[in-house]
Amino acid sequence: MENLTIEAFKAMMHTTLVNITERSDELSKLDAITGDGDHGTAIVAALKAIVKAGSSALEFEEMLNDMAFGAMEESCGSTSTLMGAFFMGMGNAVKGTTLDVQQVKEMFRAGLTMLEQQTKAKVGDKTMMDALIPAVEAIEEAEGDVMMILKKGAEAASEGAEKTIAMKANFGRARNLGERSIGAADPGATSWACMFNSFAQGLEAYA
Amino acid sequence: MSEITSTCQIKKFINNPDNITKELLEGYTLAYRDKVTLLDGNTVVRTHKKQQDKVAIITLGGAGHEPALSGFVGEGMLDCSVVGDIFAAPGAPRVLNALKEFKREAGILLIVLNHAGDIMSANMAIQMSKRFDVNVKSIITHDDISAGIETPDEDRRGLAGCVPLIKILGAAAEEGKSLEELCEIGERFNNQVATLAVAMKSCTHPQNGGIIAELPDGIMEIGMGQHGEGGGGQMELLSADDTAAYMMKPLMEKLAVKSSDKLLLYINGVGATTHMEMSIVFRKACQILEEKGCELVEGKITEILTVQEQSGFQMILAKCDDDHVIYLTACASDAPYWTVIGKK
Repeated sequence: MENLTIEAFKAMMHTTLVNITERSDELSKLDAITGDGDHGTAIVAALKAIVKAGSSALEFEEMLNDMAFGAMEESCGSTSTLMGAFFMGMGNAVKGTTLDVQQVKEMFRAGLTMLEQQTKAKVGDKTMMDALIPAVEAIEEAEGDVMMILKKGAEAASEGAEKTIAMKANFGRARNLGERSIGAADPGATSWACMFNSFAQGLEAYA
Repeated sequence: MSEITSTCQIKKFINNPDNITKELLEGYTLAYRDKVTLLDGNTVVRTHKKQQDKVAIITLGGAGHEPALSGFVGEGMLDCSVVGDIFAAPGAPRVLNALKEFKREAGILLIVLNHAGDIMSANMAIQMSKRFDVNVKSIITHDDISAGIETPDEDRRGLAGCVPLIKILGAAAEEGKSLEELCEIGERFNNQVATLAVAMKSCTHPQNGGIIAELPDGIMEIGMGQHGEGGGGQMELLSADDTAAYMMKPLMEKLAVKSSDKLLLYINGVGATTHMEMSIVFRKACQILEEKGCELVEGKITEILTVQEQSGFQMILAKCDDDHVIYLTACASDAPYWTVIGKK
């Protein structure tokens, strides 16, 4: 698949919502170990708002901005706000109804850049960034068509999320638990890994 | 007895904990209706609007710190305060609504206290406001020095030092200063104000009853944050004079205070510390400044930013330039919790 159409992107987001909804309880249970146990509910709510807000848009910039607004209007919590930041960043980078491989790479990088302006978390801090940063880097470095680069992104996100099991939390409320945070994957990294896998799966199903 | 008493261990005069923010803002705006009005349930604006050709000053932040920050909405101070739930940021869409409401050619200055949630709400709102051609700039306050005086601005929290900044910027905006001029005046003060907090008894979160931080008897903590976050400086409780001296030292170091400096000194009680104690602390802190040969141009013993029933206070020290002194003391303000008659 040489290009990513706006319909394909909407299909990717729909698959993402379905997959995350299926894993909602698991994500909340992971969150209960170090946090307040609402990550599953929060991420499902954010994605529902994203899918709904983007449904009528005909063009990438407008759709991604609408999705960002949708997420942030849904809740003031950090999950929705960070998702909103990612989509707003992506929306700042692209226009039109079809993106080529290079534009898809630029879109994901711009989403990450906007997130990095909101949080100082880096790889190794046991946060969502442990899945997201390697995924975006893998997408940028990958060769091939849109399908290929999304698959590379999905693999890198899964590996990144897996690595958080052995990590000690350096950010957020989990930080207060210190050594006790070791042994379970970070819920944010786990959900972003699920999302990147869903992007690839959703595109494959659409194609 | 009502249900609340049996299920709720929190010893506070509240109703349903979920409605605290809404009910407190309703009460506040009912009491001071000639000065402030509630908009959309969580945004406090002036009842008598500032002229459109002047820059609007807006801030945001969680509830639970009353009278901050909505207590300072009024003539000569804030145009608008966007309020989040207890100790929580209001979220970007609400801030965006305020930016759209106050959109004007002269522009908007958004004052943001350096706390992760507030920064994120403000950043996202500013980003979104570009879609609506809103002319907005922001100032981030970072007066807390508990992390060490060498700590970079971005790693220092915003404490009650934002309140004199609000007074200065409110007065300068009223005078007709441009957005660029206001940023310069504000950043200059922002770099000359330092705050250090001390707590000796923690507080409960009014919604869930959780004790925010444990402080054993006979112990105080220097640097405890606005939400009970540890400052790392637990030590034995000292007398008022010794506490004042202990806290003034890093504050004066941070500002590199010299004998000719004009200084502002506020003692801000955070909830359970009495004005009696605060006055005794102020006395010693002021003596230290006078021994150094400094001039006290503005002093206050007050409660401007509280942390529920936490006991302790924030000591705010600022070097003031001549224009800052005029904006603080000679220009009128008429906010419910900050009235200056003015000398002009």
